[in-house]
Amino acid sequence: MSRGRRRQAVPLDHDASGRYLPLLVAIMVYLAALALAGAMVANKLAARWDRGLAGALTVQLPPAAAGSEDSADPVLQGVADLLTETEGVVSVEVMHTGAIAALLEPWLGDTALIGDLPLPRLIAVTVDPQAPPDLTALRRAVLAIAPGSLVDDHQRWLSHLLDLARAVEIMAAVVVALVVLAAAIMVAFVTRMGLAAHDQAIELLHLIGAQDSYVARQFQNHSLSLGLRGGLIGLLCALPTLYLARYLLERVQSDLLPDLSLRPYEWSLLVLLPVASALVTMVTARITVLRTLARLP
Amino acid sequence: MVRFEDVALRYGNGPEILKHISLHFDPGSYHFLVGASGAGKSSLLRMMYLAQRPSSGKVALFGKDVAGLSRRKTALLRRKIGVVFQDFRLLDHLTARENVALPLRISGDTDSRRDKDVEELLIWVGLADHMDALPPTLSGGQQQRVAIARAVIARPSLLLADEPTGNLDDRMAVRLLYLFEELNKIGTTVVIATHNEALVERFHHPVTRISDGQIWTVETVAQGEGGNRAGAADLAAGLGADLGATAGRDGS
Repeated sequence: MSRGRRRQAVPLDHDASGRYLPLLVAIMVYLAALALAGAMVANKLAARWDRGLAGALTVQLPPAAAGSEDSADPVLQGVADLLTETEGVVSVEVMHTGAIAALLEPWLGDTALIGDLPLPRLIAVTVDPQAPPDLTALRRAVLAIAPGSLVDDHQRWLSHLLDLARAVEIMAAVVVALVVLAAAIMVAFVTRMGLAAHDQAIELLHLIGAQDSYVARQFQNHSLSLGLRGGLIGLLCALPTLYLARYLLERVQSDLLPDLSLRPYEWSLLVLLPVASALVTMVTARITVLRTLARLP
Repeated sequence: MVRFEDVALRYGNGPEILKHISLHFDPGSYHFLVGASGAGKSSLLRMMYLAQRPSSGKVALFGKDVAGLSRRKTALLRRKIGVVFQDFRLLDHLTARENVALPLRISGDTDSRRDKDVEELLIWVGLADHMDALPPTLSGGQQQRVAIARAVIARPSLLLADEPTGNLDDRMAVRLLYLFEELNKIGTTVVIATHNEALVERFHHPVTRISDGQIWTVETVAQGEGGNRAGAADLAAGLGADLGATAGRDGS
C-alpha cells in the first residue's frame, strides 16, 4: 500500500498475454500502417491524375500522306487555327512527328524506323477549366475540317484510373477495419483467458465489495499498456518499410507511379496508430470484462 | 441485521444443502454457528456474505431483501461485511500489508493514515515481522491472521468468520476471538461458524446449532451465566498486559 509501486489486485503482469499481445498488436499496427499509407498514396495519386488532366484535350488527326511535312499540312494547320480561335482554349501545341516518335521510342525503338509508320498527328490543347469550350460543338467543327479526327478530353481513361485509385483506397480502408476487428477479437479472447486464470482473485475482490468497474479497470489498464507497447513496435517496424518503398519508387522515376512522400498531417495519422491500438485494446478489454462479469451471480 | 425466512439452498440439481432455515440476528449481536463438518455452516455463511443466493426463501441483510439488489448495490452492501474465509483467500502476489489494505483500496479509501491502521492491526495479530511477506512464505496460522486482519480493517458492520481459529493454537484463537468481542462492543454484528465446541463454551454468546442442513437448536444466553464472560475476560487478561492495552486502543 505504501511501499514502492502499488501492485494491482489482479496479477495480470505475470500472464502469458503480457508477452504475446504486444507482438500481435505490433503485427496488426504494422499492417494497418502500410494499408493506411497505401490509402493515402492512392488518394494523392488520384488527385494528381485528376489535376494533371483537368483542362487538357488531345486532338488526334488521321496520319498524313507519306513524306508530307506537318508545317505544310493545311488540314493540321486549319484545325490548329480553329482551336486557337475557340473560346475557352488557353493554348494549342501542334506535336510534330519527331516529338511523337520520341514519345513512342521506349516501346517501338529507333525513331528512324518510327518515321516510316503511319503515325497520327496530335495537337495538345489546354483549356480554361473554369470556362471550358463546348466539347460537342468543338468535335463537330474539327470533324468538318479533318474527317476521322478524335477530340479526347481523357475523361474515360481518367475515370477508370480514378475508379482504380478509389478501389485501392476502399480496399485499404477495409484492411484497416479488418485489422481493428481482428485486434478486438484477439484482445477479447486474451481478456477472457485472463478472467478465467484469475477467477479466484476476481471472486475475492467481489466478495470484499469491488464493483465490476474496479475489476474492469485492472484489465483495461493492463491492455492499454500492452496495446500501446505493441502499437509503437508495429509503427517503428512500418516506418523503415515505408521509407524503403519510397526509395524504390523514386529510383524508377516514373510520373505514373505514386509518390510516397506523406504530408505532415498524414504522418500524424500514422503516428496516431499506436494510440488508436491502445484505445482499441483498452475499450475491448473493458467491454469484455463488464459483459463477462454481468453474467456472474 | 441478518434475517433468513424459510431459506433453502441447493447447488444445481443436487440435493438441498440447507432446508427451512429461519433465523434472525440483531444488530450488534454475537453468534456462534456450530455444527459438524458438512452440516451446512459454510453454505449458510456464503448466503450471508452474498456469494450464494438461496434456492428459495428470503434473505435480508441490513433490512434489505438481497434478491432485488442490483450488482452495484450488492457490492456496496458487501463492503459493510467483513469475511474470514475458511481457506483464507489471500492474494499470493500481494504482501500481508497489501492484503490487509485491500478492502480499503477497493472502497477508495486512499487516506495514507490508514497505512498506520494496517500496521497496527498486523502488529496486533502478531505479524509485526511479516508485514511485507508474501502469503506463500507464511505458515497456515499466519495466513489466517492476515485473513482476519483483512476482514476487520474496514470496521465492518457485520463480521462473518468461517472456522477462523482452525489453524491457530488455543492462545491465539482466544486472542482473536477477543478481538471480535472488541469489535462487537463497538457495534459490529459477529457471526462465527466453528466446530470447536470447547472454544465456544469459553464465551458467553448465543449458539445456533446446525445439522444436516437444518437448524436444530438456538441456545440463547441465560441470565446468570456471567461466569462464562468472566472466564473469557480472565483468559484474555491472562494473555498479558500488552494484549489488553492494544485491544483497548483498537476498541477505542
